[in-house]
Amino acid sequence: MRIYIGAENIISPLGKSADDNFHALKTNTSAGKYFEGLGFNDETVFLMKFDQKDKTSFSQLVDDCLSGISGKLSGKLLSSEKTLLIFSTTKGNFESNFTNGIASFCSDLKEKYELKNDPLAVSNACISGVLAINVAADYIKPGLYENVVVIGCDVVSEFVLYGFQSLFALSDDVCRPFDEDRKGINLGEACAAVVLSKNVEIFKEQPLIYVSGSSSNDANHISGPSRTGEGLYRSVVKTLKLSGLSAKDIDFISGHGTATVFNDEMESIAFDRLKMNHIPINSLKAYFGHTLGAAGLVETAISMQSLRNNLLIKSLGFENQGTSKQLNVIEENSEKEIAAFLKTASGFGGCNASLIIKRA
Amino acid sequence: MNFITTYCHISEDHCAVNGEVLLTNESENSWIRTLYDHFKIDYSKFHKMDLMSKIGVIGSEILKSQNGKIVDYDDDEIALVFANKNSSANTDVKFQQSFKENGSPSPALFVYTLPNIVLGEIAIKNKWYGENIFVVSENFDPEFYENYCNILIPSKAMACACGWVNVLNDSIEAFFFFVEKEASTEDSLPLTSNNLLNLRKA
Amino acid sequence: MEELKKNLKEQIIERLNLEDVQPADINDNDPLFGGDLALDSIDALELIVLFENYYGLKITDPEKGKKVFESINTMADYISKNN
Repeated sequence: MRIYIGAENIISPLGKSADDNFHALKTNTSAGKYFEGLGFNDETVFLMKFDQKDKTSFSQLVDDCLSGISGKLSGKLLSSEKTLLIFSTTKGNFESNFTNGIASFCSDLKEKYELKNDPLAVSNACISGVLAINVAADYIKPGLYENVVVIGCDVVSEFVLYGFQSLFALSDDVCRPFDEDRKGINLGEACAAVVLSKNVEIFKEQPLIYVSGSSSNDANHISGPSRTGEGLYRSVVKTLKLSGLSAKDIDFISGHGTATVFNDEMESIAFDRLKMNHIPINSLKAYFGHTLGAAGLVETAISMQSLRNNLLIKSLGFENQGTSKQLNVIEENSEKEIAAFLKTASGFGGCNASLIIKRA
Repeated sequence: MNFITTYCHISEDHCAVNGEVLLTNESENSWIRTLYDHFKIDYSKFHKMDLMSKIGVIGSEILKSQNGKIVDYDDDEIALVFANKNSSANTDVKFQQSFKENGSPSPALFVYTLPNIVLGEIAIKNKWYGENIFVVSENFDPEFYENYCNILIPSKAMACACGWVNVLNDSIEAFFFFVEKEASTEDSLPLTSNNLLNLRKA
Repeated sequence: MEELKKNLKEQIIERLNLEDVQPADINDNDPLFGGDLALDSIDALELIVLFENYYGLKITDPEKGKKVFESINTMADYISKNN
């Protein structure tokens, strides 16, 4: 069975649609800015956060993103009994409901959009978005649903910001994935969505094909990546095996690339072990920051745009090779025939996930 | 058809294995310490974990103690399929206190403010490299476990260690069960939503 | 000094959430990292916070931190020499 994926949408400080966001990336624009006194102890922090004037609530972001995708679909898909909504987030709207920020938000969505099925909320750290897309395809394959709307959202909160500060994990200016001078992450906020379906006709614009995906745990440490890239290696091996494709069919990799010393090093080791380190790779974290539960969706949506436009996007922030194993980091936007890409993600709890999308 | 081959419950006042109450919280010692000692866990990293991770690790140890076949699976054949209602709220509250009341954000607490950390702790303890998923839902959703285990087995996993583990204000509600292709134990039951609902109440 | 060591053990248990560990379980000379307590890099960050909050001591060099946080004895030594 073919599983189509399309109707991608992104709401971020860079724009209010996938087109807007992709356009900003074509000019290599970062959403990052200094926010004075916002950090713990009134430290100034560098974030990819909406300006005060565009300040928007968590639920408003989700509403805007859902209304954006409904314009790309035919009919009333969201409220169909054949449709499931999968929500990807790390913290949900916990600034409104601290101890129940995810489940209660899903109940609200169900009521507001008259959903026939209870939404499924995936909360699996930084792989949530990629994992949620994989779950969507897994639910369509045996015929449990015909369509799945996958939406991911996380915002920059005092809670998460202070936490990353306490780990000394934040970069004090724009992050530099895979670069030798990388010194930490930037936090970002965004909401992004994609739609998967067995029916090609629901998409107004030609969709792509979801090929396969999987997840794997490092079984090593809850807050540090495996030194051998074990989980990422295993997840990509499995995803390739399920896909029926081989590494040579992958035209580019959308990596996780958080710009911490250990994460990027781990990715280089995993791709070296996979013999995929010659494949062009980018990290989009210097554009959007790390948007946590939304990251997998933002980055998959941009990669889908890359494929549609046959345009590789520069891995912003990268200048000099900074990992022990060489990677083919994309240094300039460049045109290339793209038939398929691999998206990977890794996160706290030792989790890793990957997926492959190809042209229809 | 897949089967539920063993299961257990942990709350703040008792621990039941395959429906039989095994321990009640009566001793002077801490309840978690009682469980740790009873199931002979002997794992130094255990003491640093947050409460939800501790419960998850105890739960996975109980499942292993009841079904000898679990340790025979290859290191990537067991998927972890977990869910709860309140995500990591129990530790979120403590982390928030660390910076609002106790001076500065605690890194050791922050790393536990994601619900899937319990999956990581179980994976590390057992060297399980398989699939992971953590889902948050308002109520125990038997259909999720039924559907997702049936999806994973056998294309992405050969067995699933499943859990509903909710911890809030240090009150515990946990139900763990193991799902396999074959009815490997005498008490095995077909994996159906109805059976899951009944076992959870047991 | 004994009072200081006892306080340190209590503070470590509290800050690192070692709820099931008693102060008596930690020997003054036991290695804190790589030993029975299984402390790791995140806990080292937590000990830095602890030193700052309770003793007003700032440790910014991680290498120095490693030496200072080796055991209860080395921590107590460092505090008594720098306070």
